[in-house]
Amino acid sequence: MLPNKLLLHIKPAPVIKMLSLTDTTFDNCIKCTVCTTRCPVAEARPDYPGPKQAGPDGERFRIKSPGLYDDALKYCTNCKRCEVACPSNVHIGTIIQKAKARHDGFKQGPREFMLSHTDLMGTLSSTTAPIVNVVTAMKPVKKLLDKTLGVDERRTLPKYTFQTFRKWFGKHAGNQERFDRKITYFHGCYTNYNVPAVGKDLVAVLNAINIGVRLTAKEKCCGVPLIANGFLKKARKNADLNMTQFAKSLDAGSEAVISSSSSCAMTLRDEYPDMLDVDNSAFKDQIQFVSRFLIKEFASGNKPEMKPLNLKVAYHSPCHLIRMGGVVHTVELMREIPGLELTLLDQNCCGLSGTYGFKKENYDTSQKIANKMLEQIKTTEADYIITDCESCKMQVEMNTDHKVLHPVTLIAMALV
Amino acid sequence: MRYDSIIIGGGLAGLTSAIRCAEAGLKTAVISFGESSLTFASGAIDILGYHSDGSVVQSPFPAVAKLAESNPNHPYSKVGVDTLKQGLHRFCHHLDVAGVPMASQSEDNHWRTTALGSLRPAWLYQPGMMPLPIKQPAKGIQRIAIVNIAGFRDFQPSLAVAGLKQHPAFQQARITSKTITARELGLETRNPFELRSIELARALNHADNFQRLTNALGGAAGSSDLLIIPAVLEDSLGRSRIPELSQKIGCQIMEVASLPPSLPGLRIANALKRQFNKLGGMLIEGDLVEKGNFDNGRLVSIETHYNKDLPLYANHFVLASGSFFSKGLLSKQNRIIEPTFDLDVEAPSDRSLWASGKFLDSKAHHFIEYGVSCNQQLQPTRQGLPIENMYCVGSVLAGFNPVAEGSAGGVSIATGFHAAEQIIAAYQACAGN
Repeated sequence: MLPNKLLLHIKPAPVIKMLSLTDTTFDNCIKCTVCTTRCPVAEARPDYPGPKQAGPDGERFRIKSPGLYDDALKYCTNCKRCEVACPSNVHIGTIIQKAKARHDGFKQGPREFMLSHTDLMGTLSSTTAPIVNVVTAMKPVKKLLDKTLGVDERRTLPKYTFQTFRKWFGKHAGNQERFDRKITYFHGCYTNYNVPAVGKDLVAVLNAINIGVRLTAKEKCCGVPLIANGFLKKARKNADLNMTQFAKSLDAGSEAVISSSSSCAMTLRDEYPDMLDVDNSAFKDQIQFVSRFLIKEFASGNKPEMKPLNLKVAYHSPCHLIRMGGVVHTVELMREIPGLELTLLDQNCCGLSGTYGFKKENYDTSQKIANKMLEQIKTTEADYIITDCESCKMQVEMNTDHKVLHPVTLIAMALV
Repeated sequence: MRYDSIIIGGGLAGLTSAIRCAEAGLKTAVISFGESSLTFASGAIDILGYHSDGSVVQSPFPAVAKLAESNPNHPYSKVGVDTLKQGLHRFCHHLDVAGVPMASQSEDNHWRTTALGSLRPAWLYQPGMMPLPIKQPAKGIQRIAIVNIAGFRDFQPSLAVAGLKQHPAFQQARITSKTITARELGLETRNPFELRSIELARALNHADNFQRLTNALGGAAGSSDLLIIPAVLEDSLGRSRIPELSQKIGCQIMEVASLPPSLPGLRIANALKRQFNKLGGMLIEGDLVEKGNFDNGRLVSIETHYNKDLPLYANHFVLASGSFFSKGLLSKQNRIIEPTFDLDVEAPSDRSLWASGKFLDSKAHHFIEYGVSCNQQLQPTRQGLPIENMYCVGSVLAGFNPVAEGSAGGVSIATGFHAAEQIIAAYQACAGN
């Protein structure tokens, strides 16, 4: 061992500029191109080179020279259908998102800020919801948003609720402590600011199987819209806060953290480690989409009493739920409802993909992708369309006369 | 979660089994990790193309029946020719309903043409794949034009010309290759060498582009008797547009499956999945079976990557996980294993026997014959003990060499169907009691 004094004089070895290959999973790609056959964007717009080219193929070029970055990557919706199709376990969608972040592939103007900061917009809008909802539905306002921000005027903007889910829950929280078993509910932005009914239904269903619901002291947007718009630093900050909150609530006796939004659930469970490098391994298995938690309870015999629900419903499976392997849980859950006539729609992407379809330049692509799904839904004689994702719900309700319900709402309707 | 039958693997064998089970009213799930090897397949179905001496099989069904005498361990010998026929019949029915009609030349094999211009015996073909008769493949064909779209890399017409010329029957034929440019077709959005078959198919499906293609191919055909093009044409429902094109140009046109993604193979995969969904089946894609829970000679439940603490229960399981390529089999230093359940595998431990010395010596390698060893009912064993509610189907099975025999399609369909029939029979016996 050299004395410290000497150590100071030793110059560090010259840094050889090496490729930073911390993630070489793209090397597992065998070039079968099956991902491209399943990519809804590649199908809708021929100028998008498809996931193989944009993901593992392009990565080889990009790590050699950033100049070879292809601007067309901005068209990727991160639906992750490519990852489901891949027989070689390449996380193609993640490779593309990371490349976009590394190469300034995200446009980040005021529109992107507004669309992606869902909790901030929710806080601002819900306090003045009656006004906001009227204003944002007005044609001149939509025109203005279109012209100034590039939010397509043909889109129906989400309605805000005056009483947030958190506010409602605050009045009922005391009631929840009477249950021995408890879970923590990650309500997400949409349930909190837009459709609190799903949250209320979730509380009713869990209470019916003797499980109490808690919220974390603080909750931030899961980060899915932030990731989709390249606000990774902000997404990481949210992730850190959420993870700290989850750790606290699990320590305090919650059995699981449950989300009723398939995209939130996927983000909390899979995108935190894969996309944001936020380690959630200590309780990854406890972060669950609501259907998975419920079907496991039902399977172990903890099932509520349900009355027959004589309804015809058609189920649309969201891309991110497919990616998490969760479609089977929702389907099996609905099959537990007596009297329900369930048909499964083909697994087509709805095309809205969160903030993507709200952008003026993506409107046509989004609608083009939606076509297959919409055609099938229009000929469906269902009382309701069921889906787990708020984005799919918005897309179906904007384009058809069908009302869309969350599977948990369906269970709540069947409760005796 | 409980099912009547769970099928592990979503390829040809798995989906054949699954559709049969669902059709019989059984609550059925398929678990598939990634798209199957149908993406790589020709889209024709072979049953038995070559006898053990290497000679070509003219009529596959009598040859399959005879196989039982010489090779009792062959999956066909266990399943029987009647089940094979029934399975194929149902397969054709379902593909027909799903919009991908398959045809055969009565009971006889035909030659299908590969992208490299070689001929392979097969039994079922799709519209647009022109079957050539086994005895006189070049009958009535004097001039052949092989046409590609300039830049499309997954088909090389010069290789196809060279390959076809090697066949004795085509020695007299005049075979030329041509390319039409992307500009002629109005495909200027991206470099054509970046385009894959599916992307070309989407672009060429537009009315204007299709018309341009028709004109360009008409020009390229000249006075040819036969036009060979890569499989890059289909409508938005995945139906081949070759018959329509052929009528317009007034020349016989043959499509050949390109390098992956192979459109004719994908058509079959998509059609089978649509049928399974329509029959109420549950297709679980992107999840991997990691473990089986056995009890008393039965597979009770399975755990998947996403369902480690929530096992999937079934009364019957079908393993259709494929061969080495699909990771249904793995080779270790001195043994070949079935990685999911560690089922007993038929393979010598002497590694030097697995492959012949030369990579390409026109003989198939032996490792292709290795696989899970099963009884007459296709039930496997584990540490020597039989598993009564499990069946193995398709290329995970031991005892046949799909490459040397030209039998991959038929074995998948026959064994997949056979397993399903036994499961259904077990249910009917229960209901009878």
